[in-house]
Amino acid sequence: MDEPTLIQRAVNGDVTAWEPLVLTHQQAVYRLAYLLLGDPDDAEDIAQETFLRAWKYLKRFDATRPLRPWLLSIASNLASNRRRSAGRYFAALTRAFRDEPITTATVEEKNSQHTQADDLWKAVQTLSTPDQQIVYLRYFLDLSVTETAEVLQVAEGTVKSRMSRALEKLRHIIKQDFPVLVEGHEA
Amino acid sequence: MNEMEFENKVRSIANGMEYPRTPNIAGSVTTRLRTRTRPRFNSKALVWSLTIILVLCSSLMLIPPARAAILEFIQIGVVRIFPQSVEPTVAPIQTPAPESFVPVTATSSSQSSNLIPILNQMAGKTTLVEAQDKVEFSILLPAYPSDLGQPDYVYVPNADGNMVILVWLDPQHPEKVLMSLHFIPNGSWAIKKVEPKVIEETKVDGDRAIWTTGPYPLIFPNGDIQFERLINGHVLIWAGLDVTYRLETDLSLEEAVRIAESLEPIP
Repeated sequence: MDEPTLIQRAVNGDVTAWEPLVLTHQQAVYRLAYLLLGDPDDAEDIAQETFLRAWKYLKRFDATRPLRPWLLSIASNLASNRRRSAGRYFAALTRAFRDEPITTATVEEKNSQHTQADDLWKAVQTLSTPDQQIVYLRYFLDLSVTETAEVLQVAEGTVKSRMSRALEKLRHIIKQDFPVLVEGHEA
Repeated sequence: MNEMEFENKVRSIANGMEYPRTPNIAGSVTTRLRTRTRPRFNSKALVWSLTIILVLCSSLMLIPPARAAILEFIQIGVVRIFPQSVEPTVAPIQTPAPESFVPVTATSSSQSSNLIPILNQMAGKTTLVEAQDKVEFSILLPAYPSDLGQPDYVYVPNADGNMVILVWLDPQHPEKVLMSLHFIPNGSWAIKKVEPKVIEETKVDGDRAIWTTGPYPLIFPNGDIQFERLINGHVLIWAGLDVTYRLETDLSLEEAVRIAESLEPIP
């Protein structure tokens, strides 16, 4: 059964039609929430809330449009709101004490793909929330420019210009704080 | 490394990101939908945040001006309502509106016969199809009343945002507006709504909504537009996921809620 048909059934109150749609998109939604919040429990809360809210407002969704950008848009807004809450501050503080200092990592660990990704994530986290969103959507979740524009509710041209600016800032941060990521390319 | 090489490098590294295993969201969501229980938040961070918010609110309530501000402040989506005579938090209008935007002037009952010229002066007049192409959110139309049909006027003012205004004329009195529906996307417009005479809380689709009666000076934070109502009636305000809705009508509250709950994507 295709997505618009499942959506239509879900609009009519069929929970069993909503379940496969959640299964299809839950990973992308969860991962975006995790990238934005950095906490698996929070990401799960946000992912659940995303699908519950989407269910509630489904009749207002244009079923001819793809569902994933809309879901990611909801998740992004919910995660951003959560980040702004006082709880995030304390959670981040707790994590900061829990995390091991970067300097303790060995050279071998630094060379591993996962550690590189983790360092990239740390670098992205220093960007503004809008810049983080665009980097996560385009490069971590591999969304197209069109999909990213739908998630962020901006024009494709805006996505391209914002992406370019975000990458420039990211390049500067990496060069300064995580040079190992571009070692061999930039002196 | 040029921009494209750097972009490819970022993408390549990001592909190696290790995520926690995705939990069974589908199972949890469907269980909650079937049992219709209240949302369960189990993270310690949220418990902490709720505790802190409670403490902060309790402390603020001890300070009279803060208590007054908290008690007199109602926010629905991007619309902020001050039930009493409270100064708006934005600067008064000082700069002229952009040439492309003609502010909508208030219409009292005695002015209704002159409404059509006012509608013709409004900037951003367009068609429903073109309006949908211009905005990222879905433009919704009331399925109720069933004979309402499509709006007679559609506007996308495009002044610092992509608000959409739909206007239906009264078929019995085509010189008058039957109702207007405003779509105000989050992040682009923030409206301060000051001193309505009547404020009544209600529900749209189970969510909090506000039913008000004028006057309606609406001031935008960019300070250059004063937007007032089209109808000498009531305004129903409610918020969706990414859009705040504002329905102006002289119909009853029950009818307005029924219209609000009947919104559907353009067929």
